[in-house]
Amino acid sequence: MKKDTARTLWNDGTKTVVASLLSILMGVIFGGVLLFVVALCLKMPLSSAWEGFRIVLGGVFNTGRNYDAGSALTFGINARLIGDMLFRATPLIMTGLSVALAYKTGLFNIGAPGQYLMGTAMSIIVALAIDTSVVPAFLVWILAFLAAIAAGALWGCIPGLFKAYLNVNEVITSIMTNWIAANLVTLLFDGSRFINNVDFGKTGYTLKTATNGVATAKLGLDFGGGNANAGFLIAIVFAAAAYIVINKTTFGYELRACGSNKNAARYAGMNEKRNIVLSMAIAGGLSAAGAALYFLQGDVEFYWHTSMALPATGFNGIPVALLASCSPIGCIFSGMFMAYLTISGSQLSTFTAYNEYIANIIIAVIVYLSAFTLFFKGLMSAKKKTITVKSEDAKSKAGEEMKRK
Amino acid sequence: MADNYVVEMLNITKVFPGIVANDNITLQLKRGEIHALLGENGAGKSTLMSVLFGLYQPEQGEIRIDGKRVEIRDPNDANTLHIGMVHQHFKLVECFTVLDNIILGVEPNKLGFLQKKEARKKVVALSEKYGLLVDPDALVEDITVGMQQRTEILKMLYRDNEILIFDEPTAVLTPQEIHELMQIMKSLAAEGKSILFITHKLNEIMEVCDRCSVLRKGKYIGTVDIAGTSKEELSRMMVGRDVKFAVDKAPAQPKETVLKVSGLTVPSKLHHNNAVKDVSFEVRRGEIVCIAGIDGNGQTEFVYALSGLEKASAGKIELCGRDISRSTIRQRAEAGMSHIPEDRHKHGLVLDFPLEDNLVLQRYMDPRFQKGGFIQREPIRAYAEDLIGRFDIRSGQGPVTPVRSMSGGNQQKAIIAREIDLNADLLIAVQPTRGLDVGAIEYIHSQIVGQRDLGKAVLLVSLELDEVMNLSDRILVMYEGEIVGELDPKTTTVEELGLYMAGAKRNKGKEASAS
Ligand SMILES: Nc1ncnc2c1ncn2[C@@H]1O[C@H](COP(=O)(O)OP(=O)(O)OP(=O)(O)O)[C@@H](O)[C@H]1O
Ligand SMILES: [Mg+2]
Repeated sequence: MKKDTARTLWNDGTKTVVASLLSILMGVIFGGVLLFVVALCLKMPLSSAWEGFRIVLGGVFNTGRNYDAGSALTFGINARLIGDMLFRATPLIMTGLSVALAYKTGLFNIGAPGQYLMGTAMSIIVALAIDTSVVPAFLVWILAFLAAIAAGALWGCIPGLFKAYLNVNEVITSIMTNWIAANLVTLLFDGSRFINNVDFGKTGYTLKTATNGVATAKLGLDFGGGNANAGFLIAIVFAAAAYIVINKTTFGYELRACGSNKNAARYAGMNEKRNIVLSMAIAGGLSAAGAALYFLQGDVEFYWHTSMALPATGFNGIPVALLASCSPIGCIFSGMFMAYLTISGSQLSTFTAYNEYIANIIIAVIVYLSAFTLFFKGLMSAKKKTITVKSEDAKSKAGEEMKRK
Repeated sequence: MADNYVVEMLNITKVFPGIVANDNITLQLKRGEIHALLGENGAGKSTLMSVLFGLYQPEQGEIRIDGKRVEIRDPNDANTLHIGMVHQHFKLVECFTVLDNIILGVEPNKLGFLQKKEARKKVVALSEKYGLLVDPDALVEDITVGMQQRTEILKMLYRDNEILIFDEPTAVLTPQEIHELMQIMKSLAAEGKSILFITHKLNEIMEVCDRCSVLRKGKYIGTVDIAGTSKEELSRMMVGRDVKFAVDKAPAQPKETVLKVSGLTVPSKLHHNNAVKDVSFEVRRGEIVCIAGIDGNGQTEFVYALSGLEKASAGKIELCGRDISRSTIRQRAEAGMSHIPEDRHKHGLVLDFPLEDNLVLQRYMDPRFQKGGFIQREPIRAYAEDLIGRFDIRSGQGPVTPVRSMSGGNQQKAIIAREIDLNADLLIAVQPTRGLDVGAIEYIHSQIVGQRDLGKAVLLVSLELDEVMNLSDRILVMYEGEIVGELDPKTTTVEELGLYMAGAKRNKGKEASAS
């Protein structure tokens, strides 16, 4: 009896993974439908919608068009795109981790974009400000990375402090700190020597950190001329560390207790105020580290007029975390999935008549539906029940027959 | 005569991971009867009632209402069939007022606009008719457990339900309130409503019920007419052995003072007055001191201040000679305090954690359970297994069972096991046996006496008169936030105690001289 019930009920982990896959599938189907609708509206041939769908699915395995064979789309291993995917996944994994970790403590870190911006600014400033002919480049890289983390932690800390000591909802303060960061960063760069005054017409951007010789080590990950580098590995290390901290340490135990029942945590003598602040600080640090890993690649330029817009990578931490059901290891995969979609989007606007805005909408729809993991999980539990009924029925009938014999 | 039955649950089987909670159970409820459901903690009573209320779908069996087979898929179906339930653990929205909670889901409205006035009238009328005292405008998070319970009952009456399920309604009520509830139940039954009544208190079953069905470990044992049975027989049917109702204990031999409270004053969240006013007393090693009183007379706030959950506005608390008035909760625990809290779900447990993690809620920092900040699973599991065995904590999957899925009584046993095993100098036990079956109560009482005999000081806060009289060595009566009397359980009577609790009598002078 015991064994049978164990078998009929899936364990929670399996359920989560299946639910994530189901919601991704839903998103992709819906995205496909949208492609056709857009094609119809814009009077595009339906074949281009089909091409678009294949590009979205194919993503990094798209190898362009074969112009010798009627410009058909071709698919295969595209090393450059795979590398780009890993590179773009890096900051997404980090912001996903940031949201997931805060969530474990019962906090909704919508402040990731602000923390990400602070990390961006600090990493670029430090990487450009310290002369690499005096200090070795790798040391500058480390300093820039740490400075970014410190700035992000500080930025995460603020909503944490408000929440812990004044009981102000962290969502409200996070939104405010986001915009403060957006303006502060513009202020920091405005008129500074880090602006690209070298290339004509590029003054809206910062200098690349590589101009000062600071760039993340490639470690052979730059296959096919892609942008991947050691940063991706660092993100994986962070994910593993987050997993260990949350699940295996007393600190993580406290964080989870506070997130799950803060009254009980307090009753047990945990310092729930301190834990809230720490959790937000770490979350901020993670977001900012993501920014540093992205911009310290060396060859990326930063559009510093941020006062009007917050970085999408910060916000995308939310779907990355949700899609992973807030599991740190899951964030690696959901981060890669989001990056895969981003690449699909750029391929879509390159190779078809869909412009980048439509591509963005389609990607957004997929992401949105992908966040339905919890919903599908609930649905699955309900479905399992009826299955159990049947097997139970069969079993008891068998049992009765046994008795009769 | 089958048409006599309003509710028939036939051959119900419900399986949870690791356990068959209901194993082929049949229960038949007659119209206008009060039917008791009795069984040990974890026997499957709440599960069976949740099946009737549509919260769980059974794997097998059928439900008939008025002889007709019905499918109850969710509580809305149950409501349509006029089935109402007061849950063992209340389902109230904490940040809503009492009134809002009562009308939640059936809000009276005109064109979509709330008509609270009518609702309020009906609620006030109901609460007066049945003597269910509530403050309709208080926030649920601020009111006592007793008032939450009354809110739940009003919720059911407000919906004009005909079949009423009470899952341990009396566990949290005072004797007076229980008496009133019994009267209410009788009059509801006389009005033709049918009542299913879960309780662990055999006196209550003897007093109001017509019949009683007994479950043991998920199996149906039988149904008996109350008129032809006795408390002893019921408990034998339920536990499978004879149960002693009196507590075995030698006279107390109090030694030096462990807890000294002087002039403690705690502000109230409900009103502008102080909830606890200038309370002073001592508890010594080797004695069980009980704070008795009617619910809502400041006991909750007093314990909060004592344990550090809330701040006192004046006064001094000394534990083993150390002034802990300003200490944090952890410092108090380290100074030698353990605390079985009143509200097991709010403070006592992290429901989403497995049982083993809840059993080390304060001790995860012990060198035994962590090395360099890393949690040591194996010792924790072994420790949990040990407590589970010693305190007979029953669950589907042992140490890894999510506490949320455990039966109410077993959740309580987990807390008691954890707190008693802390072996602190002072054990504060607030309603320690709330929701436990008679067998478990017998065991827990012997454990508390055991702590006393080991030279610990025990401060018991209880609404249960039997427990107060049986277990304590000294009784302090709290009325409107003051200690109004000190009584010796050996020389006092329940009636006298009742007079003190109602505020009709006081002997404060004596209390002052004692400390
Ligand atoms: N949702 C659930 N998931 C898994 N197991 C459950 C669930 N609900 C109950 N159980 C298990 O089923 C058994 C019966 O639980 P139930 O709550 O019905 O007991 P009970 O008779 O009401 O006990 P008590 O007197 O302590 O309230 C318990 O062992 C419990 O662990
Ligand atoms: Mg129960």
